[in-house]
Amino acid sequence: MSSSERTWKTIESGPHTYEEALHPVVRKNYGKWKYHEIPKPGVLKHVAQSGDAIYTVRAGTQRQDTVDMVRSLCDIADKYADGHLRFTVRNNVEFLTPREENVEPMIRELESMGYPVGGTGNCVSSVSHTQGWLHCDIPATDASGVVKSMMDSLYNEFKDMRMPNKVRLSTSCCSINCGGQADIAVVVKHTRPPRINHDHLSQICELPKAVARCPVAAIRPTVVNGQKTLMVDEKKCICCGACFGACPAMEINHPEHSKFAIWVGGKNSNARTKPSTMSIVAHNLPNNPPRWPEVTETIGRILTAYQKGGRPWERVGEWINRIGWKRFFEETGLVFDEDMIDSYRHARTTFNQSAHVRF
Amino acid sequence: MQEGGREAGSKAGCQCSGCGTNGEDTFLNPTPMLDELESGPWPSFVSGFKELAERTKKPMLRGVLDQLEYSYNTKMGYWKGGLVTVDGYGAGIITRYSMIKDKIPEAAEFHTMRIQPAPGLHYTTEMLRELCDIWEKYGSGIITLHGQTGDIMLQGIEQDKVQECFDELNQRGWDLGGAGAGMRTGVSCIGPGRCENACYDNLKLHLNALKHFSGQVHRPEWNYKLKFKFSGCPNDCTNAIMRSDLAVIGTWKDAIQVDQAEVKAWIDEKGVDALVNEVINNCPTKAISLKDGGMEIETRDCVRCMHCLNAMPKALAPGKERGISLLMGGKNTLKVGVNMGSLIIPFMKMESDEDIEEFLELIEEIIDWWDDAGLDHERIGETIERVGLKQFLEGIGREPDINMVSRPRDNPYFKAKY
Amino acid sequence: MPIEVNGASYETDENGYLVNLEDWSEDVALKLAEGEEVEMGEGEWELVNFLRNYYEEFQIAPAVKVLTKAIAKERGMDKKEASEYLYGMFPKGPALQACKIAGLPKPTGCV
Repeated sequence: MSSSERTWKTIESGPHTYEEALHPVVRKNYGKWKYHEIPKPGVLKHVAQSGDAIYTVRAGTQRQDTVDMVRSLCDIADKYADGHLRFTVRNNVEFLTPREENVEPMIRELESMGYPVGGTGNCVSSVSHTQGWLHCDIPATDASGVVKSMMDSLYNEFKDMRMPNKVRLSTSCCSINCGGQADIAVVVKHTRPPRINHDHLSQICELPKAVARCPVAAIRPTVVNGQKTLMVDEKKCICCGACFGACPAMEINHPEHSKFAIWVGGKNSNARTKPSTMSIVAHNLPNNPPRWPEVTETIGRILTAYQKGGRPWERVGEWINRIGWKRFFEETGLVFDEDMIDSYRHARTTFNQSAHVRF
Repeated sequence: MQEGGREAGSKAGCQCSGCGTNGEDTFLNPTPMLDELESGPWPSFVSGFKELAERTKKPMLRGVLDQLEYSYNTKMGYWKGGLVTVDGYGAGIITRYSMIKDKIPEAAEFHTMRIQPAPGLHYTTEMLRELCDIWEKYGSGIITLHGQTGDIMLQGIEQDKVQECFDELNQRGWDLGGAGAGMRTGVSCIGPGRCENACYDNLKLHLNALKHFSGQVHRPEWNYKLKFKFSGCPNDCTNAIMRSDLAVIGTWKDAIQVDQAEVKAWIDEKGVDALVNEVINNCPTKAISLKDGGMEIETRDCVRCMHCLNAMPKALAPGKERGISLLMGGKNTLKVGVNMGSLIIPFMKMESDEDIEEFLELIEEIIDWWDDAGLDHERIGETIERVGLKQFLEGIGREPDINMVSRPRDNPYFKAKY
Repeated sequence: MPIEVNGASYETDENGYLVNLEDWSEDVALKLAEGEEVEMGEGEWELVNFLRNYYEEFQIAPAVKVLTKAIAKERGMDKKEASEYLYGMFPKGPALQACKIAGLPKPTGCV
């Protein structure tokens, strides 16, 4: 459509308004909630100062949804939740109703449609993840497939609340880790410097921009076959892939050399301990579609050990801080190696600057 | 059943027609690798895509599944970026062209429209159905709820339909989200909509802030991206501290409100052992003690971590003098490694419209500073680290506060004014 | 999809950017502008020439912030006015449309 035929004048309205989207009981008690309970996995009961109560039924979704699936969720909301629904930041869908008698039929119907009801309290939550081969321009894998495979094996842990505290998972298709910090994260690890396509580079990349993107100054201008292009000092390169985002002719992904690493101990909540970033505990896992069994198996080992050893309220990172990294590796059967010693900017802060030793 | 919907009782799993069979009369080509993701109990996105494709017979969907199958076989991605926008906007459409359109022409274009949802991700079914109908008319029908930055992602549209699709969405109250070096879409937890711990109206602040910066959402022109996330309390359910440059986290100044009768009821139910082991011993600053069979909190020692409130939601509530803390500089791994946001404004009231205005003025000043001091492709946390927190505070005209550091410096290397 | 200018054919990519940057000429620019529904007046040429000079000197396209600031200074505007001025000339964004007309490489990436 050429812009001359256009009649609508854009309204730069920003986020959609929310007030009409709130359930009437929510609107009435907005900001006046007293407490909540978890009557059973997947169900929350919030009680307001007015005495009103609202029940929430939470279910996991595949996140990569379709109009048909969204419409079927709307059918549930119309039937049981007065035409309102919402989503959580971890891709769960929630239906709110003041009528307790709606809860069980709603659970049955959601389950019969294939949506697992759960994701509350001390469970393994839905996975926060990235776009992958479906849509991203720089992915080494397909997070949606990894997540589907992982959650198939963690299905009961999503529906139950048998962990010491909540477990948040994330999955990312490159080392940038858009999936985010989590109790346990599955993140692609590039293991080779970028492969440079000299025929295209000077036509599609702004050379100084790609040079500036490198955090360790490993990229230098050069000339190949009379063409201005770039080269990488492979000794300096840390395989971060930052240049690939600036210059598609610096291919960082590789069908065999792009691997998976597993990270643990991320926590954004301020409860008890300060928020913490993740540490790497496994790497060199193969990028193995369509079901990535090695990833699922490693996650399972960590969760089994945490479930067994964690005390009430301990998140994964807090559990490890108590028992120590040595026992973490013993109990999960994972192996600490030299590559897990930090060599980047804040490395010294990760060394043991004490005589505290565990035997 | 809605038009274009499906029978109640059909499965989000793998019971749809055509799944896994690829019989002769199916619209889709065989995708044996992807079909492996249709088994198992967790909802399958592959089944959803296939069902949608069989119903709508959109060639783009067949192409996308073929390309995804190809990726699963070759273990490489095949999308490249490009530039598609709508009139007056420099961002909001994520452009994707296939690098293998010679092999799979049906998915030559597969652009995404980022749409800003309502703060707190609240919907009426009317809003969502309308969105679905418009999206099915112009696009593939694939929707991601939601992207990591917080957008509704309408995935799969061709360039020549983008403007019309946007115009129709815009008429229904939807606007594009951010991309590139500008303000990005925000994220809020449920806040006062349902949570007893919400210390400010994060939905309202989110709406006001993103409206205020609408121009910078749509016409990116800063050093790099800038993200807001709004969490109602220090439990930080939006992951603001790590995932946003501007983490607005609810907090309070005065004493935690204690309902001693409910404390007693809690102890009667769970026992003193549980109070000691699960609540008192978990307090990071030892601010809680046993007293006369109940509990006492020394407010001056409390750091507002939320643990005891999480453990005893009926008995304890945040104090009455509520507001926000602003933490700045959170980002993930790219280039410099993970940065956690750090405290810049320990406390600010957030009750009246004037409070919101004052907050937005402060953010404007912060952005102005970053615009001048920052380098290309540098997030604001990186700029602050490179230039110095002291210099940043000078730049925005704020006094230093001991709450901004975990401890004073451990080296003597600075130039003093005296 | 190639474009035809004065009988010669020039290769462009799917967004209409020149594949070979050395193919650029003022006539090619006019043709590219036509595809963008941009009418090349004095202000438009001024910007396109600014971009080309900047690219020649630094081998990168200027950040939009640099562009906005330069315009603001040149024309005595504030940053918001400068941004509106730029989008007035190039409604789909100066980075996208003006770079294309100026024959610069396509801006890349979302991270």
